[in-house]
Amino acid sequence: MTQDRPPIPLEHTDGPLTGYRVLDFADEKGQLCARILGELGADVIKVEPPREGDSTRANGPFFKGEAEPNNSIYWWVMNAGKQSVTLQLKLEAGREILRKLIATADIIVETFTPGDSAALGLDYESVSAANPGAILVSITNFGQTGPYAKWAATDIVGSAMGGHMHLNGDPEHGPVRTTAPQAYAQVNFQAAVGAMTALYARGVNDGIGQHVDVSMQEAMTSPMDHAGPTWDIRHVNTVGPGVNRQNAGIVGGRYLFETADGWITALQAGGLIGPNANPIIDWLAESGEARGLDSPEWRARLTALVPQTAEDRTYVEETMSAFCKSRKKEELVAEAQRRGAGWAPVFSPREIVDSKQLAARDFWIRVQHEDLGESFIYPGAPFKLSETPWRQRGRAPHVGEHNEQIYGELLGLDAAELRRLKMKMVI
Amino acid sequence: MAGDLKKPFAGLRVADFAWVGVGPLVSKYLADHGAEVIRIESSTYPEALRRVPPFVNDVPNVDGSGYYANFNSSKLGASVNLKHPRGPELAKQIVATCDIVTESFTPGTMAKFGLDYESLKVGRPDLLMISMPLYGQTGPWASYMGYGHVLQAAAGYNHMTGWEDGPPIGTGVAYTDFLVPHIATVALIAALDYRRRTGKGQYIDFGQMEAGVHGLWTALVDWTANGHEQIRMGNHDPEAAPYNAYKCRDGRWIAIGCTTEKHWEGLKAALGRPEWCDMDRMRRRWQRINELKEIDRHLGFWFEDYTRQETEDEFQTEEGVEGPPVRKFTTKQILELMQSFGVPCGIVQSAEEVANDPQLKHRKHYWQLEHPYMGVRQYDGPAFKLSKTPVELTKAAPMLGEDNEYVYKTLIGLSDDEYIELLADGAFE
Repeated sequence: MTQDRPPIPLEHTDGPLTGYRVLDFADEKGQLCARILGELGADVIKVEPPREGDSTRANGPFFKGEAEPNNSIYWWVMNAGKQSVTLQLKLEAGREILRKLIATADIIVETFTPGDSAALGLDYESVSAANPGAILVSITNFGQTGPYAKWAATDIVGSAMGGHMHLNGDPEHGPVRTTAPQAYAQVNFQAAVGAMTALYARGVNDGIGQHVDVSMQEAMTSPMDHAGPTWDIRHVNTVGPGVNRQNAGIVGGRYLFETADGWITALQAGGLIGPNANPIIDWLAESGEARGLDSPEWRARLTALVPQTAEDRTYVEETMSAFCKSRKKEELVAEAQRRGAGWAPVFSPREIVDSKQLAARDFWIRVQHEDLGESFIYPGAPFKLSETPWRQRGRAPHVGEHNEQIYGELLGLDAAELRRLKMKMVI
Repeated sequence: MAGDLKKPFAGLRVADFAWVGVGPLVSKYLADHGAEVIRIESSTYPEALRRVPPFVNDVPNVDGSGYYANFNSSKLGASVNLKHPRGPELAKQIVATCDIVTESFTPGTMAKFGLDYESLKVGRPDLLMISMPLYGQTGPWASYMGYGHVLQAAAGYNHMTGWEDGPPIGTGVAYTDFLVPHIATVALIAALDYRRRTGKGQYIDFGQMEAGVHGLWTALVDWTANGHEQIRMGNHDPEAAPYNAYKCRDGRWIAIGCTTEKHWEGLKAALGRPEWCDMDRMRRRWQRINELKEIDRHLGFWFEDYTRQETEDEFQTEEGVEGPPVRKFTTKQILELMQSFGVPCGIVQSAEEVANDPQLKHRKHYWQLEHPYMGVRQYDGPAFKLSKTPVELTKAAPMLGEDNEYVYKTLIGLSDDEYIELLADGAFE
């Protein structure tokens, strides 16, 4: 290799979690959780089955559409900056090495079905026996125990059973999920909060480890907005269409409008938040397109914090639709913001990457894929810490790329032992 | 369980100037795990969520919103009028007793009152502060305002939600308000852990959009590396089929998402291996993606044919059809049948069903807390359970200024006379 080859992963010596070690046995429900801990400074070791590697390497999309294990963009994104070792947990010799790894770790993330984890040595009893200070983060579909504990689920099931999906879609077509899998995204981030809370608890409690039991279903109750309290207080179920605001179970104004060149969200018009409606009404009136909404009666109705009648709502929506349709989205948003109304454009992935705001914030990061002789733009810091920065840690690892480093340097196994373990298909 | 373990954040005090969704959900995590969080509000410009429904008895009241309450369990309530001549100084005195400051105003607002990090950190190297506006502290959009309903647009979620070839239609909620707080909390606790070990505080410039786009899964790198722009595709998944929701006879929907061969084999078995699904062109995942429409059509018919309402007979004969009666399933029976074959499936549950869900009950997701005005109400707990230092929602949401006496007299040491004088002068409004 040339000297230009960057270390994989890139070092991170000044993160808030520098010095901690994370073991990652996770699928879609936990790989992003482990990644973010790595970007905060922890060393993350992704543990994969020998030979073919982790099954999520088969997840698309693939670079140039070519389905190879090191070409999965899914794999790149979720496992960037991790080290990879291979280990066969179905063999006792593998579990022996697992126990040694656990002894060096602070946080272990796993996503096996409750019960299956015990056979692999990844239940809390086994983990705490190997390292009483270890924090075991178990991320499952429905939680470790309870009537659904062993039920199968993928992203859409988490959205459905957690309740978020019920709030979206429309009566004709039914409920709809968000195509980018949000049950997975949510449970990853919420598990990371659980991991961090347990890590802090360890610090103030003489090094105790514990078990963090995370449920994807439960994670998807959080984005139900105020549908929970609405049921609890009003005994009304919130439903779609998601294109309208929902006010305690009452369909509110529309907030998505088509413009001459795309869509915007315009919260204060049609989905009014009290007095904030006035600048928009003024704007409509100055443009001669208020259709009477600037009368004192209309203003009083639009700025009051009470639900509008269906007829009023339709009239406001028609007025707003006509106004937006004849203008460009960036101009609409800029002018609305100038007038003190919080509008935003509906951005596609391309538009997010082209965003002036994110460019001005130096958001994007170019990640070297020296194995492909290329580099690609990745999303950058989700937050800016003044003293202990977030850092992207380089590309995702190949299968077992760090076996020698981890097993040799960290666990002190010699070359002969490594060969023996390889022959026996333990690593 | 060892009874003498400290709650994770016991002994930490938070001055919480943030409002609406994101900030309060961050400090809720801290409060529910032992921190003393003081919501610092004002009756002259009440927190937006105190002004929106659902209200108890449908009567608008700053202390009666369930929307506000759910995000503010376990917290104390103080009020200060920052526009009163003594207001900023009082706020500073509260901060002086705190470890953490949280806020979500438009950049510059805190500085206007001398409450920016640069001012607050003087003499306080351990102070930790997080600012959480929509777009961060710098850049051309720094002053842009809005809520989660609009930020979800800029962060890509509206683009990713809706029917294939149709307009953006959702998400139906202020989505990023329920995504980015988790990410902010991770940053905050990481910084807190660093502070615990080194004694050093710091400032976190948190832009909700920057955190929000990390939830877009593979969409951004698919664009930058492949030039492929992902877009909404209803309930379908670009990587798997079947992946959709199907309507049952009782009007409810069952979501099914099969991503592995094992899932598909389970589904075939659960359906009784009808001929269509055993065809060669359905065999592999990639083939099934191509046959998506046909799979959906067949499954749609199956749900139409084999589901029933609870009140209908289990075995039914169809008019004009020979043979024995056919077994029909209730929605719940289908769920259990399919799950018994390992099919990833679930009912699209309403808020009512979620509130009564046996699994969530088993996990004690919802807490019932008594509020002096609102009575006993349902509050969300976190999606994770810590085995040794478990979550505890210690009290219902604070009423506006409920804990002023504690905050102003006990914490910052105002005398009774000073307190009364400031109260009468409107400093706590």
